[in-house]
Amino acid sequence: MARKKNPGSKLSRREFLALVGTGTSVMAGAGFLTAKFSRRPVEQLIPYVVPPEDYIPGVAAYYNTVCNLCPAGCGITVRIREGRAKKIEGNPAHPVSQGGTCALGQSGLQVLYNPDRLQTPVTRRGERGTGDFHTVGWNSALTTVASHLDKLRLANRGAGVGLLTGDIRGHLDDLLIQFLGLMGSGRYLQYAFTNPTNLYSANAASFDTAQLPYYDIANSDFLLSFGADFLGMWVSPVSYSRAYGDFRQGRREGEDKGPRRQRGQLVQIEPRMSLTGANADIWVPAVPGTEGALALGIAHIIAGGAGRFAAALAEFDPPRVAEISGVEASTIERLARSFGDAKAPLAIGGGGAAAGTNGVPNLVAINLLNHLAGNIGREGGVVFNPKPAFGRTGMQRHGSYLDLLAFVEEIADVDDGVLIIAGTNPLYDFPGDERLVRALQRIPLVVGLSSFMDETMQYADIVLPVNSYLEGWGDDAPEPGVGMRVASISQPVVAPLYDTMDVGDVFIRLAQRMDRDMQRAMPWPDFHAYLRNAWRRMYDKRRDKLDYVDFDAFWTAVLEAGVWGETRRASQRNEFHAQVDYEPPVHAGNDVDYPWYFQPFVSQGFFDGRGANLPWQQELPDPMTSIVYGSWIELNPRTANELGVDEGDILEVSSPAGSLRAPVWITQGIRPDTVAMPIGQGHTSFGRYATGRGANPLSILSAQVDSRTGAFAWGATRVNLTPTGERIRFVKTGGWSRTLDRQILGPRSGETQEGGDHG
Amino acid sequence: MSLIKDLFTNWSVWRRPGYFESFDYSWGMVIDLDRCTGCEACVVACTAENNLPIVGEKRFSENREIKWIRIERYWSGEYPNAKLSFIPMLCQHCDQAPCEIACPVSATYHNQDGLNTQIYNRCIGTRTCAVYCPYEVRFFNWFSYTWDAPLEQQLNPDVTVREKGVMEKCTFCIQRIREAKDHAKDDGRRRLREGDIQPACAQACPTKAIVFGDRNDPDSQVAQMASDARGYTVLKELNTSPSIVYLRRVDQEHV
Repeated sequence: MARKKNPGSKLSRREFLALVGTGTSVMAGAGFLTAKFSRRPVEQLIPYVVPPEDYIPGVAAYYNTVCNLCPAGCGITVRIREGRAKKIEGNPAHPVSQGGTCALGQSGLQVLYNPDRLQTPVTRRGERGTGDFHTVGWNSALTTVASHLDKLRLANRGAGVGLLTGDIRGHLDDLLIQFLGLMGSGRYLQYAFTNPTNLYSANAASFDTAQLPYYDIANSDFLLSFGADFLGMWVSPVSYSRAYGDFRQGRREGEDKGPRRQRGQLVQIEPRMSLTGANADIWVPAVPGTEGALALGIAHIIAGGAGRFAAALAEFDPPRVAEISGVEASTIERLARSFGDAKAPLAIGGGGAAAGTNGVPNLVAINLLNHLAGNIGREGGVVFNPKPAFGRTGMQRHGSYLDLLAFVEEIADVDDGVLIIAGTNPLYDFPGDERLVRALQRIPLVVGLSSFMDETMQYADIVLPVNSYLEGWGDDAPEPGVGMRVASISQPVVAPLYDTMDVGDVFIRLAQRMDRDMQRAMPWPDFHAYLRNAWRRMYDKRRDKLDYVDFDAFWTAVLEAGVWGETRRASQRNEFHAQVDYEPPVHAGNDVDYPWYFQPFVSQGFFDGRGANLPWQQELPDPMTSIVYGSWIELNPRTANELGVDEGDILEVSSPAGSLRAPVWITQGIRPDTVAMPIGQGHTSFGRYATGRGANPLSILSAQVDSRTGAFAWGATRVNLTPTGERIRFVKTGGWSRTLDRQILGPRSGETQEGGDHG
Repeated sequence: MSLIKDLFTNWSVWRRPGYFESFDYSWGMVIDLDRCTGCEACVVACTAENNLPIVGEKRFSENREIKWIRIERYWSGEYPNAKLSFIPMLCQHCDQAPCEIACPVSATYHNQDGLNTQIYNRCIGTRTCAVYCPYEVRFFNWFSYTWDAPLEQQLNPDVTVREKGVMEKCTFCIQRIREAKDHAKDDGRRRLREGDIQPACAQACPTKAIVFGDRNDPDSQVAQMASDARGYTVLKELNTSPSIVYLRRVDQEHV
């Protein structure tokens, strides 16, 4: 094919210089030249008459706000130069993050400046799910929704309006409850498949406290973790990582001085080695879903046949537990001895241990270990948080998988049902279950509030673009807290890039477009005003205790610090209310047709999939494999031998619910009867960086649920593997995976370093 | 002749132990591998701070990625006793840096703060330094990379965006060192204080595994930690005198 030559390329360099030299008349005559060669003319610099606040060219401003890329609620500090966000750091004053961040939190800037952000409201033109939308103005979009809601409300049919959100906390949550209440509807549900629903339930059953406690990892000296990848992305990774550093090498008095405390030991029990497993002193690969039996086996030895639980624990002697869990009896005894002998032992359960059909009984059994160790409310133990200063707990806000399905189906069954979806993408992180899509299809009006056209937004009729978390207002009481009351305000660190609004503003604007009662009930000009009002009420309640001149001083101080707290602690007695028993896990698929346990895991870069549209995260090597830009399936070398496959060979992975293709990664860190896949890739609609890349392991999961809570049991499916004969080369960082006796990781303990001393 | 004589004279200066202690600062780092979890927060933090490009899947597959700091992973043992260890690898800012000898145009040199620096507009792209570097921490710009708008709005104005044909590497966030020195001068202080500077990786690190400071100051945290019994330098046998001391991860298999 002949390449069309650019007219500019015919010029020699000398001719070109001559042309430029002859001045503007030639430049004007040669349009191709100005387009091709000359830069944009220098525009005039006009100084501001009144410069914007905090805008000094060349000098950075720092604003404190809250990260919302995962539900941990870390305080962050954003560096702003010339009105643009440049860097995210942890807020050192915030007790959750203490100055640290995780990899995903660093990438928040790419949420803000993402090229695929939704910039204007859009309405659906084609069929649902086809992605055929056209642009509309805010006015018309809001009026359409408001008039629809108004009609329903005046006809007393507002109960058919439902609101489904991700993880919305703080006073925004209150505002949404109020809005729906005015509509006459109580249909408000939050759903995130990573929400530790089973942990809330287990804590409610064990300790009569339906909350996430603060695990005092830093002051523990023996940590037994059942499947909780707390150094990965589990619940509050930055807070746990900070504590882990001190758990290993912290000092008692202050940070730098004083004697080093005894190094804490970490044992990680899980079928596939996670990041936490890699950092553990001992990694114990137990059969998926049998963690509860292991916990009871350890409890059996510690209790020594005495006490209240003697009868319940009687049958969990080491040989029987070894048979169930696949862990040697001697290992179980050793762990029990160490746990029993430790000064401050701590047991944590989550991740895979909580993601079976028996998640709650497993976690209750793990809780029992903490009870037996006398850990509740103790330093280095499990510290429950006082009631937060505002807002509902995750247990109150979140629904399980079954709740979500029932919620959407109920709205679909109502005539004129309306579903408003904000900040959640259930069509990505849902199992291969057609029921949700079918129910969505039946709802007459689906309104989406989102920054990106993700999988779920494809099914919306109207999508309203909302601010990224760095452009809007909000507040947060982090959960889990740190054993004390903590609250933070998130403030806009940059002006909104596009014509977008806060979620709260959308609802206030909707109310303003509805009838007079609604307008009167929601009188605030914007969400910022609502938030300030709410904080003013909090301030008024504590006015005597707080040392500020007035509310404005208090508000400014909280904005500046990025955090506010009260040191009051909750008191919690070490009482155990639950019955303990082991419930064997149920896996979808029989072990003949589907010989392998399938363990999807939350990935370091993408969390539950929401990080996949960030190029930094796509290009971040996975900590365990160093793979970038793709999915893989982890196999034990023995499994790979059986199948006759090597690294990069593509397997067909089929479960009773569906199948996908993924390339093989061989690792020593997985049981031979288990295969694992990272969650996060395999998006069908999530912008240019994420779409059509890798595979989504959640899409082939059976709709298994926890027997008590109805939470999605994402670790309870079995699969079959079939080689396809195709293969790929992994995109990953190079290098050997063994040190080959070079002293890269340092001399062994007791030895000193050899070599090179000719300096 | 005099050139060669100079070279020999200078050479002995370079090789003189304690030479860098005669300057104001000698920046160094201690990385505690017993704290490091391999979470890679430092990798993204560095990318954000130093305008590292996103090279894309194709170029990554050709090993043209640019990561000034990376996490290396080393397996030992077999299932079920397999162990995985992480080590963050970045420019070691060697006091006797092989890369500095290699450069034909002195684009990379040792500055008086003990930093191994790269002068982008002097670099002619021979890539010799990358060949000489035993730590594989120098990265060549095979292309001029672009950012999909508006991602470029995030770029740090204090750091140059490199173009095709130059070598680049970790600078210990020299822009932050500069800024801190300026601030110290504004405050009428001659010397920087401990904690005035944190490179992006150390600042982001959630476990506080990375500590940065002045090795010339005996009271600094780096100086004290560097003498820890667990301390070692990577590939010590090559005699590069790195400015980064690692503290070995503790093996404690017997629970």
